[in-house]
Amino acid sequence: MSIEFEAERRLGGFRYSAGLAAKNELVVLFGHSGAGKSLTLQFISGLMRPDRGRIAIAGETVFDSAGGINLPPQHRRTGYVVQELALFDHLSVAENVAFGMPRERDRRRRVAELLGLLDLAGFEARRPRTLSGGQRQRVALARALAREAPVLLLDEPFSALDDTLRNGMRRELLRLRSELGLTILFVTHDLREAHFLADRVAVFDAGRILQDGSREEVFRRPATRRVAELTGVANILEGRVAGFEQGHPVVEVAGVALRCAPPVGRIPRTGDVVDLAIRAERVVLRRGAEGGDQPNQFSAVTAEQFAFGSTHTLRLEPAGAGPSVEVELAARPYEVLQGRRGGSGSSNSRPGTFMSCRATWTRPRRAPATPRATAAGAPRA
Amino acid sequence: MRVPADRAALATVTLLAAVFALFFLLPFAGLIDRAIADGETWSLLRTRQVREALVLSFWAATLASVLAGVLGTPGAYLLARGHFPGRAIADALIDLPIVLPPTVAGVALLTAFGRRGLVGEPIEAWTGFTFGFRTTAVVMAQLLVAAPFYVRAAKSGFDAVDPQLERVAYTLGASRVRTFARITVPQAWPALVAGTVLCWSRAMGELGATLIFAGNLEGRTQTMPLAVISAFEGSSLGLPGAVALSLILLVAALVVLAAFRLAARNGARS
Repeated sequence: MSIEFEAERRLGGFRYSAGLAAKNELVVLFGHSGAGKSLTLQFISGLMRPDRGRIAIAGETVFDSAGGINLPPQHRRTGYVVQELALFDHLSVAENVAFGMPRERDRRRRVAELLGLLDLAGFEARRPRTLSGGQRQRVALARALAREAPVLLLDEPFSALDDTLRNGMRRELLRLRSELGLTILFVTHDLREAHFLADRVAVFDAGRILQDGSREEVFRRPATRRVAELTGVANILEGRVAGFEQGHPVVEVAGVALRCAPPVGRIPRTGDVVDLAIRAERVVLRRGAEGGDQPNQFSAVTAEQFAFGSTHTLRLEPAGAGPSVEVELAARPYEVLQGRRGGSGSSNSRPGTFMSCRATWTRPRRAPATPRATAAGAPRA
Repeated sequence: MRVPADRAALATVTLLAAVFALFFLLPFAGLIDRAIADGETWSLLRTRQVREALVLSFWAATLASVLAGVLGTPGAYLLARGHFPGRAIADALIDLPIVLPPTVAGVALLTAFGRRGLVGEPIEAWTGFTFGFRTTAVVMAQLLVAAPFYVRAAKSGFDAVDPQLERVAYTLGASRVRTFARITVPQAWPALVAGTVLCWSRAMGELGATLIFAGNLEGRTQTMPLAVISAFEGSSLGLPGAVALSLILLVAALVVLAAFRLAARNGARS
């Protein structure tokens, strides 16, 4: 089942203008709050009317400003879970779920099926307010699914959950998508959630979609500096294209030449100033010796470090030429690098830590194009 | 250890509260004491005049409350949810009959629906029907004075219903009518009940507007409060009759209060 969407709307000083299409996949609408993600869902569900645009759900046009079509929410085939859930507290769980069910259905059987599917069997007679946060979210999801709509709109539905529940719900959602063949639009500002769920990611900022592509593409090849910032790229460096090497651009940053991935989109020319994106988790650190013929290597020392339990973040300053770079290491490679097997004393800040990184370049400044650098050294730790 | 100044303050507060409580309780104690001393309360309650006043008051107040519900609910909902020009003014005007002396409301009714009133005169000319000085007028007077209490309460009730619930109901395919009946009204139910009780109590006690617009005709427009006035002004009931009628109104008020509390507590629990 598919959705085609294109809408424009002015709301005071805010201008919304975005379009996207999806079919049998889970698209994460990603961005900060106020970027227009929830607005997108409201346009699709019919709760808010665009100034201009066209929306089609499963081939049926539900809104078309040119054709004067604007179906009310009641006639749009969407299941919508709003952020606040908005469960009907005066109705039981079963009555909540049955509320939007098509009339001809054998309601009791269908309610039992849905509650079973979401692991809520036995809660039929309970009032929503007597349930836990996770159970309430599952009731809201069951209620939306009961509409039997081909498109599911989910607005940060797992935001109130603790991590354990959230992971369970995410898995459940992926299962539902494949079992029921739904098109799901999922709003979140949580990077990990976006990583876990997305088939595709649409990055929203200030009422626009900056990039819309597969998860890998968006996270590894941010189209612009802003996308890189929004998707959590820790190192965004300004450099100048020095030349090309087997199709790979070589960008000079702070005195070192870094070989980047072949760019997506417009190809910059030698001499262009570009933004270079290096994700903190895609840098390889090796102690002591230089690593053979790996590209993008330079030597650095640890200036600062922060422990986050499962990961460590290091701030590396160049010992010579090169930019200062933030690096994220998993706990085990970190321990190996530090020479602590089993947690002996610390030894850090020693010069001679070699770093090789995957760089991605973003578009040249003041000219549209796309970035990305490719990885160099294989992990050795 | 308590600071002496605090001890003095506590004593003062307690004393003032006690004086206040006494002031409120003594009149009712007096009423009950007098009713017992008279010894004729029970027989007075069974006189035709009292019975008629009681029946009239009860049914008129009930009818006025039902009308307030039927006519007032849509208005209350519009005030809570609608966006139309003059909404703020309409919202303020709802309170007018609450603030206004009921006698003024009575005069106003007379000038509109009386035999020589704004619409009263043409209606009489066409149909021969007059509003004034009949039971219809009692209900109209009560409606004007008491309905704002219902509308005010109902509006707050609708205000408190999260609009998101209604929006979600729309996305679940429910029409606006079904959403109102199945979501909005049940959510606002405690407020609607409270408003009805307030409205009914106010209608039961209505005096000024009724006296002016409906008059004080035994068996037709004489409600309980009017019968109390008549008793003082020398009707056959006399002061003991006034006491007996007052006692009934007091008991009715206590029952309403108790029922109200009970309903509110049940509402909070479910």
